Amino acid sequence: MIMKILILNCGSSSIKYQLFDMHNNEVLLAKGIVEKIGLLGSFIKNSRSDGDEVKLVGDIFDHQQGIEYVLGVLTSKKHGSIESLDELAAVGHRVVHGGEAFNGSVYISDEVIKTMEECVDLAPLHNPPNLKGIYAIKELLPDIPQAGVFDTAFHQTMEPSTYMYAIPYSLYKKYGIRKYGFHGTSHRYVSQRAAEILGKDINKLRIISCHLGNGASIAAIQNGKSVDTSMGLTPVEGLMMGTRSGDFDVGALTYIMHKEEIGVEATNTLINKHSGVLGVSGISSDMREVEKAAGEGNERALLALEMYNKRIIKYIGAYIAEMKGLDVLIFTGGIGENADNLRCEVMNNFGFIGMIPDPEKNIGLRGKEAVITTGESSAVAMVIPTNEELVIARDTYAIVKDMVK
Amino acid sequence: MIEESLKNYALKNDSKHKIKKIKAGLVGCGSMGQEIAILIAKAGIELTFIEVSEAKILNATKKIESSIDKIIDRWGMTAGDKRAIMSRIKGSTDFAALADCSIVVESINTKKWVPNQPTRKEVFKKIEANVSNDCVIASNASTVVIGDLSVVLNRPQRAIGVHFISPTLKTHIIEMNRCRNTSEETVKFTKKFAATIGKEVIEILGSPGNISTRIIVPMINEACELLMEGVAEVADIDKTMRRGYGMQIGPFALADRIGLDKLIKWMEGLYNEYGDIKYKTSPLIKRMVRAGMLGKKAGEGFYRYDEKGRRFTKPGSVHTLGN
Repeated sequence: MIMKILILNCGSSSIKYQLFDMHNNEVLLAKGIVEKIGLLGSFIKNSRSDGDEVKLVGDIFDHQQGIEYVLGVLTSKKHGSIESLDELAAVGHRVVHGGEAFNGSVYISDEVIKTMEECVDLAPLHNPPNLKGIYAIKELLPDIPQAGVFDTAFHQTMEPSTYMYAIPYSLYKKYGIRKYGFHGTSHRYVSQRAAEILGKDINKLRIISCHLGNGASIAAIQNGKSVDTSMGLTPVEGLMMGTRSGDFDVGALTYIMHKEEIGVEATNTLINKHSGVLGVSGISSDMREVEKAAGEGNERALLALEMYNKRIIKYIGAYIAEMKGLDVLIFTGGIGENADNLRCEVMNNFGFIGMIPDPEKNIGLRGKEAVITTGESSAVAMVIPTNEELVIARDTYAIVKDMVK
Repeated sequence: MIEESLKNYALKNDSKHKIKKIKAGLVGCGSMGQEIAILIAKAGIELTFIEVSEAKILNATKKIESSIDKIIDRWGMTAGDKRAIMSRIKGSTDFAALADCSIVVESINTKKWVPNQPTRKEVFKKIEANVSNDCVIASNASTVVIGDLSVVLNRPQRAIGVHFISPTLKTHIIEMNRCRNTSEETVKFTKKFAATIGKEVIEILGSPGNISTRIIVPMINEACELLMEGVAEVADIDKTMRRGYGMQIGPFALADRIGLDKLIKWMEGLYNEYGDIKYKTSPLIKRMVRAGMLGKKAGEGFYRYDEKGRRFTKPGSVHTLGN
């Protein structure tokens, strides 16, 4: 039986894709990105597992055409990974917002598409392109089953007392305003992987996972279920991020709007693009550049880093209290996997629960799975590189494996 | 990494593309044209604008850049947004540069009413001579009837009025003015274009002055009457309309923002069309224009403005306005 699965992550003007062979050790056959869809200078970059790489330049007017070309490249003699489209068993999509309708990955039926269309209001920037990818596959490969994997689904196990905001209840009823959380696929993957590596039953673990990348969120995972997470209705809540403010006094926000005489749109840009590490340091949203500047004595760069770490520490502390303890702390995402100094500073705050960092294992560790605390630690800290695409491929496989020939 | 052409990788069933790529053209890149250019390019659409000289192109480009800088200072965009927008805007003195546009908007500056229409007509003809058959030709004129402009085209069904209201990056609507010649395809495309640039369309059936100009003009005239009668001062009249009726801006501050010279043009256009005294230019406005008090852009109108564009109440009374 052929079980090759294409994973699509459609953004507003880009499409990331990966092709997995699920019956052959989940091996990655090819991956790539379509960039600048509908804009000047569009192209596709494709890399194959044997190292073959190519950049294909030409007009790409919309998502459907982008996906057509991706299928064309994947089946081409020169740069392809499969001989024909018949080898594709299914297509899995990353979908940003599933609202309250989806608490797990689903087979995409017409009814599901309709429900997803209703979720567009919750993620106006992300969900429409996700849907475009689904429509395109439906038209191009009508016989191939599709699955949707939602960023929010993993957090649907949160209790109402966690996910509700202390605002009039009617607003929740009217617009679904509540905490949903994001990066669910990543938090799920690293928490399961941690249990596997440690050889422990995830149903008996209290895990805190820190996904620190361009966007950043923390999740408290008790007995394999998300019980709390830092992002909310939107990805602005919670940790300080590259250009997002994270938690912020909403009273101060209306005060700023009044003083600066700005409207909703500029306010949105202010908290999403001008804030965070960039806003405080005035240098960059890139952690490496800010760390470099801090090393050279730039005070605001140093302040930004201290603020960034402190916010993470506060959240970990809160989640330890929520779960009455902690067994495993996980670092993942571009920053979590690489910033050893940051990991060290965070860990140093949790000696009181028996977390003892092991500098030999931590310092210099980048992008590899490892335990970074000493053997006598009662709370373990780990680095686990995330792999959201693999989770999407596995979910898709689980959903469609009984449906295909 | 090796580079190849994408074309060789099309699937057999490649591309029955229903969605046409939008490229926009703009003729006239004065203050309104510059706003329209930013608005369109911000939506990810490539834009070519036509100006009469290289110096004007340079000037318009500089002004567009500084407008975006001001937006960045007010948190509305990022430096990355600016780079993306500027990469999409190109200026040219040659109408042939509009060849591959799917819509061209005429937004020329016309100082006086009388030579007004012939000029816009000439522009319409020139645009048509250079674009493909299915390109929509739109006019941003506020008091001109689109039907009058459409007749100069070989394909008048492509003519449509799209009235942008300044500051167009902040306002939410455009007034779409169709005439007897305008085709359904043109209307459909214009609506799609409007949606792409984030504007809601208000459909209007061929009326000079649309909705907005016809309501704004008599209001400003009436405000001038109040002022001349000595009923109240500029700031209090404005404040009444802002605080009392929830308007974002009072009639005098609005007149200053529009520019009194432009306002006269609107007033004369409407008076000419309808013959109604309510559109007749207030003598106060005429007097101020003669004195060069054109509003915000001149640093002085009903209010005084500093170089940062901040507004201050002027001392004195109505007798000093324009005297």
